[in-house]
Amino acid sequence: MSLLDKYRIRQAENLEKTMNRVQRWAAVAIVLGLMAGSTALLAGEMKADAATASEAITRAEAAQKKADSVNGEWRDTGKFIKNAKKAVEEGDYAKAIRLANKAESEGNLGYQQAVSQSKLEIPSYLKAMY
Amino acid sequence: MRKMVRLVSTLVVITSAAWLTACSNKPVTKQEPAAMAAPSDPKIVAAGKAIATGRSQGNCLACHMIEDGESPGNIGPPLIAMKARFPDKAKLRAQIWDATAANPESAMVPFGRFKVLTDDEIDKVVEYIWTL
Amino acid sequence: MKKLLISLAVLLVTAVSAQAGPEEDRMAFIKYYKGKFPNVPMEEYANGAYAIDPVGRENWEAIEEFPPYEPFIDRGQVMWEKPFANGKGYKDCFPDGPAIAHNYPRWDREQGLVMTLPLALNQCRKANSEKPLKYKKGPINDILSYIAFQSRGKVVNVEVPKDDPRAMAAYEDGKKFYFTRRGQLNFSCATCHVQNTGLKVRTEILSPSVGHITHWPVYRSKVDWGTVGTLHRRFTGCNKNIRAKPMKAQGPEYRNLEYFLSYLSNGLELNGPGARK
Repeated sequence: MSLLDKYRIRQAENLEKTMNRVQRWAAVAIVLGLMAGSTALLAGEMKADAATASEAITRAEAAQKKADSVNGEWRDTGKFIKNAKKAVEEGDYAKAIRLANKAESEGNLGYQQAVSQSKLEIPSYLKAMY
Repeated sequence: MRKMVRLVSTLVVITSAAWLTACSNKPVTKQEPAAMAAPSDPKIVAAGKAIATGRSQGNCLACHMIEDGESPGNIGPPLIAMKARFPDKAKLRAQIWDATAANPESAMVPFGRFKVLTDDEIDKVVEYIWTL
Repeated sequence: MKKLLISLAVLLVTAVSAQAGPEEDRMAFIKYYKGKFPNVPMEEYANGAYAIDPVGRENWEAIEEFPPYEPFIDRGQVMWEKPFANGKGYKDCFPDGPAIAHNYPRWDREQGLVMTLPLALNQCRKANSEKPLKYKKGPINDILSYIAFQSRGKVVNVEVPKDDPRAMAAYEDGKKFYFTRRGQLNFSCATCHVQNTGLKVRTEILSPSVGHITHWPVYRSKVDWGTVGTLHRRFTGCNKNIRAKPMKAQGPEYRNLEYFLSYLSNGLELNGPGARK
């Protein structure tokens, strides 16, 4: 075996070692990436950019308006939307989306609460007195 | 090299599977919580107590007598003998999550349905209340 | 045929009970509270929670010995007597005054709305080119305190005229508000003040709704009050407590609620201004 051959073999071995290392890291990276991705998805914050935040706020405002139209708005819904807008200004889109989603959910719940009682019902404890 | 490919693909499959189950599990815990059979973790119980007796979150004391909690209300029944009253922990959780489901005229706040507390907070409160 | 008649009769009965009139409502409330508090005489309901809370009552009676609302009454008298910029005054708008609190709320046929005393006061100001008063805090409480004090002993006698269906609609709207669960905490007025009257939220005893409107405006010693406030300020506070967005003070919702709530106190004597915790 010539020196050159030895050199080539060593080079090939090194290359393989590097490749192994690269592959191992790649695997770790993929796994980590997937985990991070799934956590983010679970938290509903996969994309936290200005456009997503603005869409979330638009949805929240629509829900708030819907609740208000039946006198069903809750106390803090407006405050959440206001703070979401402030968070957008500060560049904290994740916070803005979280607050806007909260406000949207409150708007929907307040609306449902009001329309589910659209017919007046005297509760049984008082009805028994008529 | 081939070994490596196999390893990576296996990992990918496992992670995706884990991710999928995690995703599909989420709505389930929201509605019908699985009762946790494991013995109460004192840390969780303590966290639950803080939520239950604090004024800003659970504020259970506003309506219920709890242990030696200060100035309790009496709109709801005293929280005693909870294991006897709720042998099934899941029933206790359902009551806290939305008492109006069982009785539409219940005065109790639907803590879960109206998101006064998060699911995680309710889990902790349940752990605490169940020790009473 | 017989079946049809029966179902028609059933329909009629349900329609009648669902559309119980104001007097039936008032009687039902009184019967309910009488069942809960058999030893409380009717006239005591004008004292709110203190009719059913002996400990709170002692404190209250001590406070009433040096009424915290007295300076408000005095300032209100000055307001009542002082002419507007155009030379006219409240006396010209309310020739029967100042003891007029028992005439409100009433159905205003011309405007087709429930007229409350604060709204009437501001309409008087507007007619005389004066700026309207704010409806929750501030000087409106002075003049309301004076009028309330002058009206002590007058009897609540709210009427829902039968010949104007809009009046009944306003009453029904107020009643609907009263029984509707709202806010994140999901309470209606009835949850606390009927279903759980006499029980305690923390240390506070929940008052009956018969007697809710006899003593306004009220001096509350509570930290964020520490002054005299209006009934609609109290409505606002109640709605915020249950985490609902409050309605506008003197808007149609709260005026209609006041109409319904005031009818429940028919027959009780006015005893405002009041003092509460």
